[in-house]
Amino acid sequence: MSKVSSLADAMSAVTDGTHLALTGFSITRSAVAAAAELVRAGRRGLTLTQVIGSLDTDLLVGSGCVDRLIYSGGSLDRFGSLHSVNRAISAGMPAEEYSTLSLTLRLLAGSLGLPFVPTRSLIGSQLLERLTPSGGAMMISDPFSGSPVLAVSAVRPDVAIVHANVCDDEGNAWVCGPLWSIKETALASARVIVTAERVVPRGGIDPSRITIPGAVVAAVAEVPGGGRPTSVFGAYDYDAALLADYAAASRAGGETFSRFVADRFLTGALLTAAVAR
Amino acid sequence: MSTSWTPGEMMAVAAASLMRDDDVALVGLGLPQIAALLAQRTTAPGIQLLLELGVFMPHPVEPAMGIADPRMWQDAWSFGGVLDALGAMLHGGRVTLGILGALQVDPSGSLNTTMVSAEDGSVRRFNGSGGGNDIESLAGRVFVVMRHDSRKFRPAVEFLTSPGRMLNGRPRAEYGLSGGGTAAVITDRAILTITDAGAVLASVHPGQNPEDVIASTPMPLIVPDGGPDETAAPTAGQQRLLRTELDPKGWYLG
Repeated sequence: MSKVSSLADAMSAVTDGTHLALTGFSITRSAVAAAAELVRAGRRGLTLTQVIGSLDTDLLVGSGCVDRLIYSGGSLDRFGSLHSVNRAISAGMPAEEYSTLSLTLRLLAGSLGLPFVPTRSLIGSQLLERLTPSGGAMMISDPFSGSPVLAVSAVRPDVAIVHANVCDDEGNAWVCGPLWSIKETALASARVIVTAERVVPRGGIDPSRITIPGAVVAAVAEVPGGGRPTSVFGAYDYDAALLADYAAASRAGGETFSRFVADRFLTGALLTAAVAR
Repeated sequence: MSTSWTPGEMMAVAAASLMRDDDVALVGLGLPQIAALLAQRTTAPGIQLLLELGVFMPHPVEPAMGIADPRMWQDAWSFGGVLDALGAMLHGGRVTLGILGALQVDPSGSLNTTMVSAEDGSVRRFNGSGGGNDIESLAGRVFVVMRHDSRKFRPAVEFLTSPGRMLNGRPRAEYGLSGGGTAAVITDRAILTITDAGAVLASVHPGQNPEDVIASTPMPLIVPDGGPDETAAPTAGQQRLLRTELDPKGWYLG
């Protein structure tokens, strides 16, 4: 049965209060079209998990959609900081900050149905000190050797969004290039939505290339240019001018940011420009 | 004494000179990228470079805006994920070297990459950990590459993003950390080595007065008997590579 739907229909799985997981990384493979759809729909109260904060998360936080953030820091590389995220945290938005590996391990635990996994990362840091009350991480004794080790608890988001290069109509998705925590994030989540540069019939992708099996995918939407202005490896480079403009708008915040988002991300102009190229 | 190189070039060259041909190195965002690529292209052609995103042995030929810029992944030998790069390679004990930047360091090489407070008490947040804490926690040894700004050296860092060689004055292994933590801090003026006893002013760069360097390093600093060594100056070949290929626009070294 085909899982293909419109972007708006696919995103209807995300409602107010959903625990959403995103899989972009800084300025690459951000689910920008999907995030813009959530801004357009006026979603509120989201909990957002993303291993490395990227443009899509900054867009959602800056647009007031997010109440709580679980991440391990992030930036727009040399284009700038995640200004909207940093401002929101400074203003009191609850945020749990991990490291890349420890948060990926939380997602791995979630994907495997395990209560926690042990790690030697984060130990002794103030990051850990701040995380302990959240229940995400706790020092324990290795039951075999008795030596100290950190347990990071499972995280199971409600919905994950992955922006893939190609996806078939059953949801088998191919992500080109490095995969950072994309698989762990998707497999930890109860539902996966794939937006893809191109949707093909089942059988149109060599099975050895499939990154996310259709078995865990609930919906597929064809969204060419859906990662712009971030890069999508194998499809397009980032749009340096738009990223620079975004960073400036996010730094400015307030009206400037919401006007910028409305003009450049919500009108469909971005998508049209992407397709025209 | 005037020099024919920029402070950034000196810093990249000094950091690269400490990298070994047999290192397996996880490379952080910013200046560490340039230093690692300089080593790869000159004195340590066998160095295995990794990026936390899951990029193995990239050979970029165009300057990149960061580790998430696909230019940085160019001609990589293989792609994987975080569980490969930071998991099997780093957590698995295969990474001999981490190369990181920092907002602040202390004498044990502990790092702050999270936030700094201004004189008016306001707090400015930065990029946070990313893979930085993982690398500092788990790599065999870590080089910290950063500008020699007196505000960046602290008796204790303002926020302990990543514990260095010692934690609360005790060896980090007692707490369950593996790897050696920070081994050296490489700046545009000097190389500090981090020992169990604290930070040592191992060498100052050509043209730098040791007294001035010490005065610009407001944290406990051990000066060896007979004074610090002098770091080797950049060669014309290294400078040419930095200026024409690795950072022609001066994004990192300017």
